Amino acid sequence: MGTTGRTTLSARLYALADRIGARGAFLGTLAVLVVVFYYPVGTVLFAAFSDDGALSLAPLWATLTDPFYFGVLSGVIADPASAPGALVGWVEAGFPAVRTGLFGFTAYLAVLGTACAVLVGLPGAYVLARYEFPGRETIRSLTVVPFVLPAIMVAVGFTTMFGTHGTLNDVLSVVGLRVDVAFSLPLVVAALTFYNAPLVTRFVVAAADTVDVRAVETARTLGAPRWRAFLDVVAPQLFPSFLASVLLVFVFDFMAFPIVLALGGLRLATVEVWIYSLAANLDLGEAAALAVLEAAVTLGVTYLYLRYERRGGSGTAGARVERVPLVGPPSLGRLLAAAYAVVAAVLYVGPLASMVAESLTRAGGFSLANYAFLLAQQLGTGGARPTVAVQNSLLFAVGAVALAVPMGVSIAVVTNRSGRLARVGGALLMAPLAVSGVVTGIGLLQGLVFGVDVLGHHIAVTGPVAIVAAHAVGGYPFVVRNVAPLLARVDDDLVAAARTLGAGPARAFRDVTLPLVAPGVVAGAAFAFAISVGEFNATIVLARDTASYTMPVALERYLSNPSVGPYLGPAAAMGTVLLCVTAVSFVVVERLGGRWEP
Amino acid sequence: MKRRDYLRAAGVAGALGLAGCTGDGGTTESTTATTTTTGSTTAGTTGTASASRTLTVATYPSYVDGSDSPGAWLKERFEAAHDDVTVEWSTPTSGSSNINEYIQRAKQGAAIDADVYVGLNTDELVRVDQELDTQLFATVRDDLTHAADVKEGLNVDPKGRALPYDTGYVTPVVDATTLEVVPETFDDLLQSRYRGDLLAENAQSSDTGKAFLLHTIHQQGADGYLDYWRDLLDNDVRVLDSWDAAYNAYTKGEAPMVVSYSTAKVYAANQGEDLDKYQVAFLNDEGYANPESMAVFSGSERRELATAFVDFLLSEEAQRTVPQLNYQSPATTTGSLSGNFAKYNEEPANPVTFTYDELAGNVTEWVEEWARLVAQH
Repeated sequence: MGTTGRTTLSARLYALADRIGARGAFLGTLAVLVVVFYYPVGTVLFAAFSDDGALSLAPLWATLTDPFYFGVLSGVIADPASAPGALVGWVEAGFPAVRTGLFGFTAYLAVLGTACAVLVGLPGAYVLARYEFPGRETIRSLTVVPFVLPAIMVAVGFTTMFGTHGTLNDVLSVVGLRVDVAFSLPLVVAALTFYNAPLVTRFVVAAADTVDVRAVETARTLGAPRWRAFLDVVAPQLFPSFLASVLLVFVFDFMAFPIVLALGGLRLATVEVWIYSLAANLDLGEAAALAVLEAAVTLGVTYLYLRYERRGGSGTAGARVERVPLVGPPSLGRLLAAAYAVVAAVLYVGPLASMVAESLTRAGGFSLANYAFLLAQQLGTGGARPTVAVQNSLLFAVGAVALAVPMGVSIAVVTNRSGRLARVGGALLMAPLAVSGVVTGIGLLQGLVFGVDVLGHHIAVTGPVAIVAAHAVGGYPFVVRNVAPLLARVDDDLVAAARTLGAGPARAFRDVTLPLVAPGVVAGAAFAFAISVGEFNATIVLARDTASYTMPVALERYLSNPSVGPYLGPAAAMGTVLLCVTAVSFVVVERLGGRWEP
Repeated sequence: MKRRDYLRAAGVAGALGLAGCTGDGGTTESTTATTTTTGSTTAGTTGTASASRTLTVATYPSYVDGSDSPGAWLKERFEAAHDDVTVEWSTPTSGSSNINEYIQRAKQGAAIDADVYVGLNTDELVRVDQELDTQLFATVRDDLTHAADVKEGLNVDPKGRALPYDTGYVTPVVDATTLEVVPETFDDLLQSRYRGDLLAENAQSSDTGKAFLLHTIHQQGADGYLDYWRDLLDNDVRVLDSWDAAYNAYTKGEAPMVVSYSTAKVYAANQGEDLDKYQVAFLNDEGYANPESMAVFSGSERRELATAFVDFLLSEEAQRTVPQLNYQSPATTTGSLSGNFAKYNEEPANPVTFTYDELAGNVTEWVEEWARLVAQH
């Protein structure tokens, strides 16, 4: 009786899901996007196409032809005919350094940052995918933690770790070495790597989890040496996910903003830094023009990526490649893994431990004063209460994941086809990542917080629901990019077989497709969670009172509290709380996610 | 104008409510003529109209955070002096410039639900007037009893809207345990012995950064400051984003000079630190005064009460206490300091600052030219 009832219910649910279908879910996703992203951001970016109210390309043109932004390119854009002459002059002058402008420098920084993220992230992926060792799952879960840390705290950690009088120099001085990287490009690139290398690691590990061991074994049986089997069978299957991570890292690095200013200063200004400054000065027209050009770069790169996303090998299966124990007789791989552990410890454990140490220090000595400050905030009135912030952060993150996963999966399914239109659509749907966060914040303020008049009613949207929606919009692109490469590899015949056996589209999706892309869904969900916990711009705009503050917002408020003076300790204490709470939740989330069998 | 009606979205209830505002669209509070609420006494301990009133004061978060904040003191004392009045602090956005939100609201005709704004820099007042054709703030100086007490040189607004309530003096702070010779002039900073020694802040986003830039313009002139900065940059001055980042790097020993406030020793003394590490170095015997001002929104329906609040903050009672709660110097001649503050706060022999008229039409360009120079260097 009970069984029959359940069957009927699930049958009804499937029927409903079949009726809604991926397209229905996709339309729902679009509706959310229009309200909390495209409309508000559109109202700001429109200024880039308007001159005193009339449609015009003048703002964009002015930006494109400004040497400050585009260097020598601006001259070529303004007067293409001058290009050959200028080129000859440049050659005759003996190839002097070329002025590349703000965009040129930003691209340079992004390329450096991306290269380092790959250099650090890929070996990490190799270790996690190839070797089995105690705590492997936990470490994999923790790789997302750097993502949620506010820039000022990372800056504190990096200064303490890599500064002139930092821990690293203390250690190196024993062997007579020292590094001098304060306020310089290498330090900024290291910080960008700190943030983004885990992205490469996570994406590649998620893809490696779906590699079919039987294909590898077939290759080996046919006489291929191990490296050959890897190159011919495994690598092509990992490549789309790897490329997806490279794309995202590049986009993030290209839009790098607070960490660059905090560690490198204005001399290393990027495009996003400039957008922020222009917006702070309410020069919204020029800010919008810059943001449009910035998005043109990031979306263009996304579009290029999408051309390659579907070119990987096909076939996913449940039979996974066995991992080998990390501890064992020395081999080249194991030695490299050990060397990698040292690098990871310096880059990750060092700065994080420095932040924790900072939270336990006041005026040069050990002190619990910073935690006493948190307690006073908790018991006092008016300020941001730590526990409320923790609770909000977790609630919003759970909500954001619950929204971002269906959004991301439905977009991945609907755009899972080749063709230019699908690629353009796919690129545009990545816009929440590719559009300036500063501009998004202004858009939310003007579009949602100030409100609009609809049919004589003034509608303004603020508070928890708006925050969750905004976080989900920030997080779903990670779900899409994690799932789409795996989805492209799913064998259509398997789905077709399920349909022939009588399963509706929803049922076939749940029973056949979803298990095959599950590692991508879990990885994407973890990123969505992290994005939500670490998000600042949209939260501060939409949280109109202390009751909606999250951990990063509370931390920011403790930064400049006059009652504690010029000490970062209280913020570091909140940063430590943030670190612990997110670390624990990532481990829990992934344990739950790992057990999740669709 | 207080509108906090709740609009329940279908299917959403409880904690996850969708807070919104309902109302007649199109009313532009900031642009309509001011409605003066007469009939309620301001000085009164009694009041014929005894309906409870709420005064909403917008400010930046750190002014009101914590039980020993300036905001907490002001709320308590002002409420005690006025029956049935509640002071509600509003801290719309974080960051250095909350005023932008109100400028944007006024531009778009969105509701301004505050009566008083506290925490206005002079250049922000310039920006307000530059961006808006209408008056965001009302002229109130003539209605105040304590306006005449404001220190000479701090009266920044010729139109009598913004009244300074405290001031900081921005200047380099020097670690005298590391540097053998403390710089005394702007030219000293260009010496090779100070190469890479000074941490400054971004004038686009930081109050201290902007004050220091303005000081160099005051000193070198609008025609000469860029050359001076070119030399400074050649001498490897660092321009970090925020005072927090710069001061943290300074305390970590990354550089022996940082652009900060002349209250540096007060903090150090409170924490029992070595005072030599926080030596205030007034260049050319000057310090750039960065007064913080307050103003009454012209759309306020409680103009008298708002004016009374402004007057109260200028009173001797408030000036003796509030500025130092905010780690600043008093803005009036009646104010005074106590404790470590009286002992260790330093003020320059010659305070300098730009007035509203001097900044108007110039400051935007000054800052932008400077920022472009730094970013290209």
